[in-house]
Amino acid sequence: MKRIIAVSIIALIALALVPQVHFAHAQEKSAKQYINLRAEVWNEFFRMTTAAFTVGAVVSGTMIWLVWRFRESHPKNKAPTKWEKLDDPTTGTYEKEGH
Amino acid sequence: MGHDTAEWVFVGIVIAILVYVGVDSWVVQKEVEEIPADAEVIKVTGQQWFWSFEHADGTKEISTLHLKKGHAYNFEIYSKDVMHSFNIPDWVVFEDAVPGHVNHAWFAPDQTGEFPIQCREYCGLLHYNMRGSLVVEDTP
Repeated sequence: MKRIIAVSIIALIALALVPQVHFAHAQEKSAKQYINLRAEVWNEFFRMTTAAFTVGAVVSGTMIWLVWRFRESHPKNKAPTKWEKLDDPTTGTYEKEGH
Repeated sequence: MGHDTAEWVFVGIVIAILVYVGVDSWVVQKEVEEIPADAEVIKVTGQQWFWSFEHADGTKEISTLHLKKGHAYNFEIYSKDVMHSFNIPDWVVFEDAVPGHVNHAWFAPDQTGEFPIQCREYCGLLHYNMRGSLVVEDTP
């Protein structure tokens, strides 16, 4: 888990630094050179696409992990929770369980 | 790992990415919209159903616009009648022409050639034929 978090943070830092490198080079242009609008717009499109796919990966990855971790057969779910301690669940009532 | 770690990682990463998206878009938009100080002003007028152009020295052209490679141009976009939209697809120039209002768009061609100009706002019967040409010539 820690590795996943570390990789995610490194990916985010890389994502933030790449455009900065680009702008640092852009500032070196002489007075007669102009930015290329096509390149700027397409670069921005690809960066936003990367960000969108990263959000998608984080959201869907978290949901997949939640389903995997909290499945009934997960080893950590062997011990019943305090709401699942009835020997025969069919005999219990919600009123009794609540207290 | 606490029971809420995953939620905080989820929230943190998504917020970080959204902040990045906002800041980066803002920076690029500022850069793209900043008109160079030495850009030559070209008055662009749309009317049913053709484009006319006026250079800074008063030279006028209809439908075909001649510009020089390596120069920056600032289009002042007008309309004489209805809404039009001035579009040079090859150079990412795309701005509405609105009656009673002046819009701006700029670009700096870095290659020669002939490129289509077209109206991109439905403006009446012959909208489909409201086309023009941009000719970019080498600087003498």
